[in-house]
Amino acid sequence: MKPAIMPAVFGLLVLTLWESAVRINGVPEYILPSPTAIIMALWTSGPELLGALAVTLQVTVAALILAAVTGAGIAFALAQWKTAEQTLFPYAVFLQVTPIVTVAPFIIIWVENIFVVLLILAWMSAVFPIISNTLLGLKSADANLKDMFRLYGASRWQTATRLLAPSALPYFLGGLRISGGLALIGTVVAEMVAGTSGTYSGLASRLMEASYRLELARALACFVLLSATGFALYLLLDALSRRLLRHWHESARHES
Amino acid sequence: MSESAIRLNRVAKTFPNGTVALSPVTLSIAPGSFTSLVGPSGCGKSTLLRLIAGLTEPTAGAMTRTARPGGTSFVFQDATLMPWATVADNVALPLRLAGVADIKTKVDEALERVGLAGFGASYPRELSGGMKMRVSIARAVVIGPELLLMDEPFAALDEFTRFKLNDDLLALWQNNRWTVIFVTHSIREAVFLSDRIVIMSPRPGRVVADMAINLPQRDADLRLGHDFADQCARVSAALGDAMHAGAAA
Repeated sequence: MKPAIMPAVFGLLVLTLWESAVRINGVPEYILPSPTAIIMALWTSGPELLGALAVTLQVTVAALILAAVTGAGIAFALAQWKTAEQTLFPYAVFLQVTPIVTVAPFIIIWVENIFVVLLILAWMSAVFPIISNTLLGLKSADANLKDMFRLYGASRWQTATRLLAPSALPYFLGGLRISGGLALIGTVVAEMVAGTSGTYSGLASRLMEASYRLELARALACFVLLSATGFALYLLLDALSRRLLRHWHESARHES
Repeated sequence: MSESAIRLNRVAKTFPNGTVALSPVTLSIAPGSFTSLVGPSGCGKSTLLRLIAGLTEPTAGAMTRTARPGGTSFVFQDATLMPWATVADNVALPLRLAGVADIKTKVDEALERVGLAGFGASYPRELSGGMKMRVSIARAVVIGPELLLMDEPFAALDEFTRFKLNDDLLALWQNNRWTVIFVTHSIREAVFLSDRIVIMSPRPGRVVADMAINLPQRDADLRLGHDFADQCARVSAALGDAMHAGAAA
């Protein structure tokens, strides 16, 4: 697998340069820790950080599932009723372009349960790509197939489940892959803004704590775990997409 | 003569943007007949076919059809298969939508009839263009249609595949005698398949010639004989006149 070797070599090279630069110049750990110091921090605080990661992941996964269900549902509703789309789609865009950091203070005041606060904020970050992609997919159902369904007297439900849903599936999955990363980003930002250290401690709050105490190796260990999680989430959703589309969609062509 | 399967009385279609797709057409189609609609591109053949299918409404005139609801099938120029469904599921679609029982037997039989027995589990992308069109035909005939409407179904295929599908369609029709209306650009195809050819003028489309095709015995050898060549020449001449009529109008 040559494609995997090249990025690995590049990564090792950068880490080696980093390590030697820190050692040669004697940079203190509270300014820039060396890669080995980060690995040590990962090793010593591993179980504790993984526990915090589980908390963050809980919110991320719940938000992603919620975004998938509500996003697909909203897209279906908008596609069925033209007036609804014209009326409501601008607000969906509004949801997307509003930085969640600016909404967070209000949500924190209105909602008591911190898990629900984080969930709402992560959902807000994740839902739009699913709505807009699914809507695009629903609209690109083959016109002749639609005529065929009409000709054979298909009910609205039959057309929705047997024609529109499968037509939209590749687009929905494309949206889901984007939203996976966004849900994680949303959770992290929400944790940082909500300052949840006391009551509900996810990995992002640990990162903030560590950076306040100038424990940069520990903070960067949190960062590494979060990035790896985002990457893993993407790979997982990509695999799901390939699996569901393997028989028929061009995007999943190279598997068999 | 028995009752018409379809009767069009001064049926016309103007699109909302003002384009006249079809000038008033009066036409009567006998049950069990094979009629080809021939004419230049944009003459309204497809519009006429969609009107007959009930997929679009005429802006003037009246139409009566005897086919039961759900007894009409349509074959498009593209095979128009659902790429996510197997061949068998594609063919089963009209039956599932109608809630018919005993789907498996009917699907197997339809696939057998178009020469695709054993391909039920394949996905459309694994098939050639000709095979996809066969699936499309199997889906159309699986309901035992009273009326089969075909819109240039073989136009995208190479000539060899096209001849083979013509032969097979002809045999299918001879065994089942559905009422078929077949739109094509190919005079040879129209003469080979039809017992009647209706020629339409360039846009706005109207019927300019209506000719019966009498050929003794129809099979693959027919294309080699003099009779066939004579009929093609006759239709070709009529089509030439139609083009002139269109240009003059």
